[in-house]
Amino acid sequence: MDDQICPRCKTTRYRNPSLKLMVNVCGHTLCENCVELLFIKGSGSCPECGVSLKRNNFRLQLFEDASVEKEVDIRKRILRDYNKKEEDFDSLNEYNDYLEEIETIIYNLSNNIDVPETNRRIEQYKKENKESIIRNKIKFNKDVLELERLIEEEQQHEINKREMLEKQEIEAKRRKIMEKEALIDELMFSDNDAKEILNFFAENKHQASTDVMDGEMKSVKKETIKRASYFSTGVKIGDNQIFSHTLPKIEEGPLYVYVEPEVVVEGPPYPSWNDLEAMGYLRHVRQESLDERAGGFMSSLACMRALQESMCGLYNISKKSEVSSAIA
Amino acid sequence: MFPSSSQKKSWIFSNEQELSKQRENANKAFIQRHVQRIQYLGDEEKSQYFLSPNEERMLVKFYEVKMRDFCRRFTPEMPKVVIGTAFHYLKRFYLNNSVMDYHPKEMLITCVYLACKVEEFNVSIKQFVGNVKGDLEKATDIILNNELLLMQQLNYQLTIHNPFRPIEGLLIDLKVRSHLRDPDRLRPSIDDFLDKLWLTDACLLYSPAQIALAAILHSASKNQENLDAYVTQTLLDKNNGSQYLKDLIEAVRKIRTFLVKNVEPPTRDQVKRIEKRLEVCRNEETNPDSEVYKQKLQEMLYEDD
Repeated sequence: MDDQICPRCKTTRYRNPSLKLMVNVCGHTLCENCVELLFIKGSGSCPECGVSLKRNNFRLQLFEDASVEKEVDIRKRILRDYNKKEEDFDSLNEYNDYLEEIETIIYNLSNNIDVPETNRRIEQYKKENKESIIRNKIKFNKDVLELERLIEEEQQHEINKREMLEKQEIEAKRRKIMEKEALIDELMFSDNDAKEILNFFAENKHQASTDVMDGEMKSVKKETIKRASYFSTGVKIGDNQIFSHTLPKIEEGPLYVYVEPEVVVEGPPYPSWNDLEAMGYLRHVRQESLDERAGGFMSSLACMRALQESMCGLYNISKKSEVSSAIA
Repeated sequence: MFPSSSQKKSWIFSNEQELSKQRENANKAFIQRHVQRIQYLGDEEKSQYFLSPNEERMLVKFYEVKMRDFCRRFTPEMPKVVIGTAFHYLKRFYLNNSVMDYHPKEMLITCVYLACKVEEFNVSIKQFVGNVKGDLEKATDIILNNELLLMQQLNYQLTIHNPFRPIEGLLIDLKVRSHLRDPDRLRPSIDDFLDKLWLTDACLLYSPAQIALAAILHSASKNQENLDAYVTQTLLDKNNGSQYLKDLIEAVRKIRTFLVKNVEPPTRDQVKRIEKRLEVCRNEETNPDSEVYKQKLQEMLYEDD
């Protein structure tokens, strides 16, 4: 599958991982993009064999060999008319002859052998068996519908079963934890013999689990009945739509605005960064080592911090103290 | 910085009366909670049953000295900021709590332990407890059990502005802006001053910068130097802050008088007598040696499960 390539635009799976090859009745492949481009009007001719094709008839290529696709297509078309069953024949031999004829026709068509002759044979067959074809078609349709219904029912059943199992599992887990806690509590606080407690709990557990299982079965049955009405196809689709529409809203708060912090000194002004150097403050601090400077540390930082802290709060005096000192 | 700190907002008080009022309230609150314990006692016993605020204070002071000694003996050697921070914590804690609730000998190691963490002096609890005399495991339990309580009682305001950095700043400033010969020779007596000052309430009343200035001025006068000119003309010149000069001088004077006033710690005899009574009246629920405490701990353990 790796070397899939569109014969028209030469795109490969390697270059476009989402490449989808389509095929029509003639058995020549085209990638999805080329189909869009060429059949924009709904119909056109195959760029390789010139057969006129309808856009609606394009479908995903399932088999690597496109000729298989073509054969499958032809077989489908032929079998629509050659729809007799074994019961319609008097003997097995006749039925076998009939099957062989079908295979011959399909082989001829898919390999382009005697195409006009074969087509004539088909037409003739159609004319001869008009009634039986229509009859069988109706019958076949009924069968198909019945089958579809069965399949759907089965799927529904499967879903319900799975849900029930999940529920049971969760329930069982919870019960287990609760029992464990109760047992530990009992072991910790009770004066009874530990063995006795263990036995008692083991018995209890067995009984409780069977009881709960019965109860659960009943409740689940009820629910499934209810749900069957809930899961009509219309509701299902509606549910999905509702789900996809409720995208979470992203609310954005107000933008951040930088406000320069106000520095409260409550003391005499400390020297500016320039003064540190100019007035010689830095001479009295240890010079930073090379390693420290690499980390962004400068001796002026430490110096400034010490000076700031020595000035900050020198004027500190709480208003109350003036009153009370007067009292004192 | 200090002016915008929680220290200034919540832990600097205007005067000593306010401090003693807080302590009295803590004492009263405890007695109120335990008043039913004394209802069958005689009048004289009643008045003697609980500790008075004054006695509580004496006990805390005694343990402050103990804390200082503990920190000095600590190995590896402890930076001074850790000691300062620990003192702050201990003083703050007993502003709102009674000795009868939490014994100071337990709180003091907790305070030191927390201060080590906050001031980034990295010691493990094992290493820390190695410095404590007696049962190491019990000490570990006490510290770890009380640590969260301590932080809660400090309102989680753990940043402490110590006077050590302001002192460095002032010394640098002195070297640059004054004519004082070799300011570094003041250091021994500055350290001595601060050592003694930790045993007072100064750090609950004055800003670290004021304390630093007081320490330097005190030390200067001990060294027969006069820095008045530096303070009045350089530090606060006419353009900025001369109107604060009076207050600043007053603050410095008060800080210096603290040393003269309250340095004397209570004697061993006094403490012994108080502790004997404390054995009777203390809150059993917070006494790690009591049965009630152990029971409560067990209950809490089960609740956690």
